[in-house]
Amino acid sequence: MTADVRIARAGEPVDAVGIGAVRRADRRRRVAVVVIGAGLAVAVALAALSFGAAGVTPDRVLAVILGGGDRLDRFVVLDLRLPRIVAALVVGVAFALAGAVFQSTLRNPLASPDILGVSAGASLGAVWAILGLGAGGAIVAGFAFGGGLVVAVVIWLAAWRQGLHGVRFVLVGVGMAYLCGSTVAWLLARAEVREAQTALHWTVGSVADVRGDELWLLVVGTAACGGVLAFLGRVLRPLALGDDHARALGVRADAARVALLVVAVALVALATSVAGPIAFVALIAPAVARRLVGRGGAAIAASAAVGGVLTLGADVAGQFAIPGFTAPLGIVTGVIGAPYLLWLLSRTERSRA
Amino acid sequence: MLVLVGSVIALIVVVAASLALGVRTIDPAEVWQALVAPDLADPDQAVVVQLRIPRTVIGIAAGIALGLAGTLIQGVTRNPIADPGLLGINAGASLAVVLCISLLGVTAPLGFIWFAFAGATAAAAVVFAIGGAQPVRLALVGAALTALLTPLIALVLLRDTEAFNQYRFWAVGSLTGRDLSTVAALWPFLAVGVVLAAALAHRLNLLALGDDVASALGQRVAVTRGVAGLALVLLCGTAVAFAGPIALIGLVVPHAARRLVGSDYRWITALALVLGPIMLLSADVIGRLVVPNAELEAGVVAAFLGAPVLIAIARSRRVAGL
Repeated sequence: MTADVRIARAGEPVDAVGIGAVRRADRRRRVAVVVIGAGLAVAVALAALSFGAAGVTPDRVLAVILGGGDRLDRFVVLDLRLPRIVAALVVGVAFALAGAVFQSTLRNPLASPDILGVSAGASLGAVWAILGLGAGGAIVAGFAFGGGLVVAVVIWLAAWRQGLHGVRFVLVGVGMAYLCGSTVAWLLARAEVREAQTALHWTVGSVADVRGDELWLLVVGTAACGGVLAFLGRVLRPLALGDDHARALGVRADAARVALLVVAVALVALATSVAGPIAFVALIAPAVARRLVGRGGAAIAASAAVGGVLTLGADVAGQFAIPGFTAPLGIVTGVIGAPYLLWLLSRTERSRA
Repeated sequence: MLVLVGSVIALIVVVAASLALGVRTIDPAEVWQALVAPDLADPDQAVVVQLRIPRTVIGIAAGIALGLAGTLIQGVTRNPIADPGLLGINAGASLAVVLCISLLGVTAPLGFIWFAFAGATAAAAVVFAIGGAQPVRLALVGAALTALLTPLIALVLLRDTEAFNQYRFWAVGSLTGRDLSTVAALWPFLAVGVVLAAALAHRLNLLALGDDVASALGQRVAVTRGVAGLALVLLCGTAVAFAGPIALIGLVVPHAARRLVGSDYRWITALALVLGPIMLLSADVIGRLVVPNAELEAGVVAAFLGAPVLIAIARSRRVAGL
């Protein structure tokens, strides 16, 4: 959708040299966004390592990073603070990658796991485990993972008809999102109020307690999915132009879309089961990345950079921005990311939307 | 035409069912008696007059508002997944209700209506002010606003158990616990919304061809979107004030109508006016019957009713054309 608009706008007469110049400028801008995003993430991460109640000074943090420092400093920095920072960063990357893939393969800027029901399915699984089975910890994570996958498979089966049509997939997905959301609301209304509040807390999402095996699973899984996406990334831009164009360019549209969406669903289910459905990162990060990069379709790498910076910055802000007040990651991402997206939307020229 | 007549008949049947069926079994003759010459001393007739008639009327009103709002949003944004929930309007209403419970200590659903209405209106105004006349942008702004407001709602609810306890019953979406004074207070807004929606139907047909074609054919696209925005504010505001955030009806009704009568928005709008109440009231009636001696809220049943309908529509061949 977006891609078509952009191409129509770029319709001024261009010769081959002109196209080459445009593409080079385009690539420079993409690389710049990714590099600046990564640099920002590293800077925020280093700053976050020095924040906290234990009062480890930046030079001692630096010593720990370089392999030195005393035992207490090492414990505070590497065992307490680092896991949370890594978790926040990787969760953001995972959701942003998934969102970028959803939006470009389905050609709908609203297509994200929040709106298509995968996150809602995970929430339903977790809330049911908490309220119905009285479970906690790994069992809740397992139910969340299962809930997300089940919803994805149901959307799949219901939307499949001689191929995977974008509009059909999105429609069924929205239906499933509302179905799961209503059921969660109903479960919350029926339960004892304290337990319901615990379940509500899970549905907000937080990376405060992600460490150990969970963290490893998250990092390795996200890296693996990211690798597959980098391999498949070539087909995303043709797909964003529409099935016919993609086919004409030699892309097997259905096979490519299925492969991409499987990876995206895996990312969402993994990140959600570990951290809860960190709301709207998958919607906001790719939308922001597309506007930063300018023309062109998917902006996968830029989305990942924006997503990582967004969640990491949000988690740090949630812990330290207001003294004496902490908020879970899932609350802060929306409060920070959405106004930025609104601001970007309000200042992009009208015809570009 | 046949479809419209059939739908009106179906609506009459559903209204009759809504008056006659429920947890308390009441003889149809008693129901009729309660309608023509109510005797409030009779407990059965009192149930009909004091409970079933109000919830039926509220169901009709909220159903009309939801069906028309969904039709307008999809027409204006040309996005098949647009509905009041996605445009940030339900989130706006929800935040207003949460704040009114938490800060002002209001507990009765009747106390919520003006807050819900104001919240929905404010959210819609923001969305249209930033989103302007661009379909894609409008939908994105709505989603971004939802992304901004939903965490704020959660923040209040996580810190205020008492407010959460009140809010969670409102958030399911239900037709009970309101009386006819809600309708008496809000019907002018609904009426204006319906009239505006009806007047816009013809313009939406041109808009469906794309902004460029519509303006080439002499339509002032911005005016159409502005009027549609006003109608949407009124319709969504009344719907959420009547029944809380009810999912899926606003999304399903226009698709169902399109499936039944084709792509002419004049027919779609007319049919949506009837299909909305049919769906919401059916959900309410089914909710009274599925669990013995208890009720499921209309909002939950509507979701379970709407999702399969939506899937069936999505699987049909004609879905691609919007």
